[in-house]
Amino acid sequence: MLGHSSCKFSPVMASRVLHQCVRSLARPSLRLLTANPTVRAAPAPLAAAVRPLSFAADSRRTRWLGQSRISSGVLCRQYGDLPPLTLETIKDRVMYVLKLYDKINPESLQASSHFMKDLGLDSLDQVEIIMAMEDEFGFEIPDGEAEKLMTPAEIVQYIADKKDVYE
Amino acid sequence: MASTAAARAATGASKVVKPIFSRDFDEAKRRVRELYRAWYREVPNAVAMFQLDITVQQGRDKVREMFNKNKHVTDPRLMDMLVIKGKLELQETIHVWKQKTHIMRYFSESEEPRAADFLSKFYRGHEP
Repeated sequence: MLGHSSCKFSPVMASRVLHQCVRSLARPSLRLLTANPTVRAAPAPLAAAVRPLSFAADSRRTRWLGQSRISSGVLCRQYGDLPPLTLETIKDRVMYVLKLYDKINPESLQASSHFMKDLGLDSLDQVEIIMAMEDEFGFEIPDGEAEKLMTPAEIVQYIADKKDVYE
Repeated sequence: MASTAAARAATGASKVVKPIFSRDFDEAKRRVRELYRAWYREVPNAVAMFQLDITVQQGRDKVREMFNKNKHVTDPRLMDMLVIKGKLELQETIHVWKQKTHIMRYFSESEEPRAADFLSKFYRGHEP
């Protein structure tokens, strides 16, 4: 069950997580499909429209509480944790961060583009990219393994290995 | 000494020297990368602490420039020595043993670039 994120993260990351939550609300997840779809669809856009997106934690919490009560009928607790990582979300976040990097051309960026051969980056640029990934996902990547990550697909695979995400 | 002489006699061309920290090129590159990471993370803290009038991006570009100046080095001992000097500077910056003027010294050009084309050399003149 998706819960609200902890308050430690910066507003940028919180807004990004919030967008993911809004996106996954629009896309019905497997568990909620069993419930009545009309009942579920009705409160979600209402809640999203009424509550302002600026105060992220509160709106998400109340929205999800209403969600769980209607769909399952049983109260379930929301523990303070991030929404669970999937390979898709990891890939989205990695590509998002890479597109923000100014030395990379966003059009020519693909999942398999090599940093040094295809994108023409330096080894120090690759270090900067790995540091941006560390800041994004919140865990340290040691240098022995960081120097081998040369494509976005490898980065996604490494993070999935470290965070125990599998399909 | 004996081992060096023996190795020299055996190979004839390459010299075996005592390493400073790293035994080969890859290990030295790893140290360089660690130093770059530390400097990259330190730049925003330094800009805040010393109240510098530069942006964080300018600071990071300057760090990149200083690293690129020694990009051509391949000798592990030389790389280790440069890493040690970089660590000294980093320590002085982190602990605020330096002052604003010492940091800004990185940004002031101390030597003018050598004249390459004819006119610059002409204007500079040469000693009679």
